[in-house]
Amino acid sequence: MNISKFLKIYVVFCLILFNQTAYANEVLITNAKIYDGQSDNPYFGNILIKNGKILSISDDISNAERIIDADGRIVTPGFIASDTEIGVIEIGSLSVTRDDSPKIYNIGFSIFDAFNPNSTLIPWNRANGITSALSLPKNSLSPIGGLGSFFDLNSDLNISGKKDIVMIGKVGGSSSKSRAETFALMEDILDLAFSIDSKVIKSDTEIISFMNDMPLVNHLNLKVRDIKALYKLANNRLPLIIESNRASDILKLIKLKKKYNLNLIIMGAQEATLVSTQIAESRIPLIIDPMNNIPNSFDELASNINASARLEQAGISLMFNAPRDHNYHLIRQGAGVAVANGMSYGGAIKALTSNFSEAFGISSKGVLKKGASADLVIWSSDPLEPSSIPEKVFINGVDTSLITRSLRLQDRYIQNLDKPNTYR
Amino acid sequence: MKIIYIKYILSFSLAFFVSISAASQNIPFESTYTPMSHSSVLLKNANVFDGDGNKFLNTDIILQDGKIVAIGKDLPSSSDLEVVDATDKWVTPGIIDIHSHMGVYPAPSVTSSSDGNESTSPVTADVWAEHSIWVQDPQFALALKGGVTSFHILPGSANLIGGRGVTAKNVQRNTINSMKFPGAPHSLKMACGENPKRVYGNRGKAPKTRMGNAAGYRKSWIEASGYLSKLDEYEKKSEDVKEMGYKPQRDLELETLAGVLRGDILVHNHCYRAEEMAMMIDIANEFDYKITAFHHAVEAYKIADLLADNNICAALWADHWGFKHEAYDMVQSNVAIVDQARNGTGCAIVHSDSDIGIQHLNQEASKALAAGVRAGFDITQARAMKWITSNPARAAGIYDVTGSIKVGKNADVVLWSENPFSVYSLAEKVYIDGALAFDRESGLEPASDFDIGILNPSKNRIDE
Repeated sequence: MNISKFLKIYVVFCLILFNQTAYANEVLITNAKIYDGQSDNPYFGNILIKNGKILSISDDISNAERIIDADGRIVTPGFIASDTEIGVIEIGSLSVTRDDSPKIYNIGFSIFDAFNPNSTLIPWNRANGITSALSLPKNSLSPIGGLGSFFDLNSDLNISGKKDIVMIGKVGGSSSKSRAETFALMEDILDLAFSIDSKVIKSDTEIISFMNDMPLVNHLNLKVRDIKALYKLANNRLPLIIESNRASDILKLIKLKKKYNLNLIIMGAQEATLVSTQIAESRIPLIIDPMNNIPNSFDELASNINASARLEQAGISLMFNAPRDHNYHLIRQGAGVAVANGMSYGGAIKALTSNFSEAFGISSKGVLKKGASADLVIWSSDPLEPSSIPEKVFINGVDTSLITRSLRLQDRYIQNLDKPNTYR
Repeated sequence: MKIIYIKYILSFSLAFFVSISAASQNIPFESTYTPMSHSSVLLKNANVFDGDGNKFLNTDIILQDGKIVAIGKDLPSSSDLEVVDATDKWVTPGIIDIHSHMGVYPAPSVTSSSDGNESTSPVTADVWAEHSIWVQDPQFALALKGGVTSFHILPGSANLIGGRGVTAKNVQRNTINSMKFPGAPHSLKMACGENPKRVYGNRGKAPKTRMGNAAGYRKSWIEASGYLSKLDEYEKKSEDVKEMGYKPQRDLELETLAGVLRGDILVHNHCYRAEEMAMMIDIANEFDYKITAFHHAVEAYKIADLLADNNICAALWADHWGFKHEAYDMVQSNVAIVDQARNGTGCAIVHSDSDIGIQHLNQEASKALAAGVRAGFDITQARAMKWITSNPARAAGIYDVTGSIKVGKNADVVLWSENPFSVYSLAEKVYIDGALAFDRESGLEPASDFDIGILNPSKNRIDE
């Protein structure tokens, strides 16, 4: 063996070793009261994590490099926040810290490249048991448009997530235009999307000639990126979240879903209880805020604190959101409020976990089962009690830090008070 | 002698006339609140957080004639008492929200009734929030179901001095006067920081900076002090001199500010940053007025001792943050740190400033308590209950009649399905002055005119 060959092997060996120290950590969590995101009821078991995945859940206590005794504590999949701007907004009122709105691109505007893994919102949400989030753009220039991405909240500069997994849209009461026009535009955009030929999409030149002299393209000032996004929406059945509240609007969206065979998810849905049968029949998942019972507009008159329970009973798959900006941690308090008002406990846990992964086809997330991504939380007590807190949060098998800037600030003002605060 | 005698008679009769006319002069906007018809209730075998920091287990409470008349074990029942079995349930004082915009920012949120900010001038001490309240706001009833029996409605924070606030009972009536809490003092809303400087700075007007804010408050107080001196001088004059001179012209703005300087009107000051609160305390000292509470006060934990030393409450969120730069340094133990300042003499309040938050103030207190305990403070649930009952009652100036379960106080009482520090706890019965205002079991609940027939003509808005 010559030296260069030896070096090559050595380097490869080191790379493997490095990878293994990063991922091979074997962790066994024993005596866990497991809500796996799928079963309605919990069971006790031992969860073995290896290489970032769940290797097994069983009654057996095998040997592992590291053993954590959950001592009967509840373990859930990491919660997934389904409607956020995590990583794209640092401070709500400071536009220089916001990357959620486009100026030129429209339907094809993706927020993926704006994501900041060092945002303080990431440790904050992680310390509240949220291990991944869907970040969505805002202020799209057309009623359908803007691409959201999925991110693991592990603060890793090598972003782990899935780019552009959803397109968004919005319809409802507006001070500037009729919703009838919004619906007409939506149909025009969808007609356009389904008219894009696979040959066209292959080259930008083809796309440009396809766009040539198309009135809708001119009206919406669409660019090549926008056409590519529309093609993806139509051809890949990209999930489409439409924010909408009024019962009659929801029925119209159900018609659109049928007409175009859309992979539709409705968000807001404050009047969903009025049309719950139709929503259930059309198998449309909803993203709702279980705490929002305010008739905040004339589109939301049916807002009711028991909506989650009633929609669950109707057989609708629910995901939970919370008011935007920084309050995503409220999703578990919201889930608790939903349970207090009649929803099943297991259903509320699913609304924070597996209902998301099913709706968006990310099967490795939101569940605790063999082969799933090891995103899980060991809770101090009942996770739906907002007084509880995660004691351990694993993301992709890694035991993540639960220190937040907020916690550091707190400690600075209650510890080592003999020193000046800037030296604490 | 004769002349003097006549003069005395004259001045006496004049004084009499003046006092008569003063008495007959209508004082506007007085409370005309009367309680709903109340029943006599024995809450049997309840667990009680009394709001004054105590916990009593398996205790009876009697509500009669709108008051709490007895608290104790195994109180004797009588035929005129309706017995409510409260075994395994909890009783607390009615929740009080010290920071609400219900009625002035009602639901639906539409421009035609968003009347909370008179943002046309940085100092609008002349406006009163109560003159903006839409009494049909459906949010009142939602707050009631969260156990809220009284609330303090404030103008918004666009202005340095935004106007008067009002304290109301959570009874929806067709006039504001009939909702006003009898005898509650008026308040004045002031605001620090980003909001006023943004609102006016963006228009190229003062204030555009925080130093502009400070100058704005001080100018107003100088003017108010001058006005108050004139009033005082006038008051000190003998009746015959008063007769000859002129009473200083009424000025709505300066009347409010003078009311603060006289100690009749309580200052509620929206302020986030530590150094701004400290500055506001200096301004209060400069002009000899008292700040009753800082609101939002995200950085109160940085100056908790200073607040305790000055006997100033901090009305806080449990964990709302990040929407503005001045709300960036949130810590979840803020409430607990304020509470524990100077050996537990701090005054902490959990407030909502939110149409949703006001329905769950017990949960907000629970989060704040849990964070405090995690931070190492030895705080009981009984003490934390003060944050949403007696402490806001003190800050609203109504603690002598409500805010705790105490014999002689108004029967503003909530019966909870379980420990109210749990998310699963629901208010089952809410009594206001002994009258059952909400009853989950029987379905008794108020509906505003807005709620009637709006989705389905034959139903109320949230009928199932």
